[in-house]
Amino acid sequence: MGKIFEITNEIRKLRFFADEMTQQQLAEKAGVSRQTIVAVEGGKYNPSLELAFRIAQAFNVPIEEVFQYRVIEKKKKPDKKGEPS
Amino acid sequence: MTYQIARKITRMLSGTVLFIVYLVQVNNRYQSGVLALEELQSLAQLMLVFIGIGIGVTIAVEIIFHVLYSIGIAVKESVKVGSCNDEDRERNIEENIEKNIKQEMVEDEMAKLIDLKSLRVGYVTTGIGFFASLIILVLGYPVFLMVNILFGSFFLAGIMEEFAKIIYYLRGV
Repeated sequence: MGKIFEITNEIRKLRFFADEMTQQQLAEKAGVSRQTIVAVEGGKYNPSLELAFRIAQAFNVPIEEVFQYRVIEKKKKPDKKGEPS
Repeated sequence: MTYQIARKITRMLSGTVLFIVYLVQVNNRYQSGVLALEELQSLAQLMLVFIGIGIGVTIAVEIIFHVLYSIGIAVKESVKVGSCNDEDRERNIEENIEKNIKQEMVEDEMAKLIDLKSLRVGYVTTGIGFFASLIILVLGYPVFLMVNILFGSFFLAGIMEEFAKIIYYLRGV
């Protein structure tokens, strides 16, 4: 069994509850480009701790409400006999 | 298309065009006898000229790109808001345009990380080019070819670096 570490975020949901805040507005508040916010929101880029705090501050919520750290157990592919190796 | 990707594509295209022009020039001069396999002085002169042209073209392309991109943002903003006569509103639109341009052109931590990772791709390409040029020399080909492969690998490294940046922006870091 392998382990995969994943960082997920709730930025889309938080933006929705913050009066439909646009990505551009969030980018301005966090001091980064819109492209970075798009990448972070889509899980394509894990922000630095500083940026993560700035994003959380933009929503006025603690950092753990924005970002979550998950450990996923990954099952290995079964071998030809049908038994997991 | 975002600012960063558009900028990288522009740089990649200008680098490719410059490289093609260089290859055509070398070929033409070689065919006409201006460049000889044994004589590297003229080739070195041509390379120096192209380094100068490369710097000039890069600066010119950057300026033209930024002017056109700024115009693009201004037009988009004007279309979004519509025409108006009110002076205050007009000033507001201008401020908005300026803010949008500044916001788009921000070089943040992700841009810096992508730059660093892409630089590695550039170094690897240059390294492969150097390795290939040494092999060419070992195999008994003229130094003329070796120097050209080395010079070409620098050009190619620049193009590959921009290409890697585009991929990183699209796929994520």
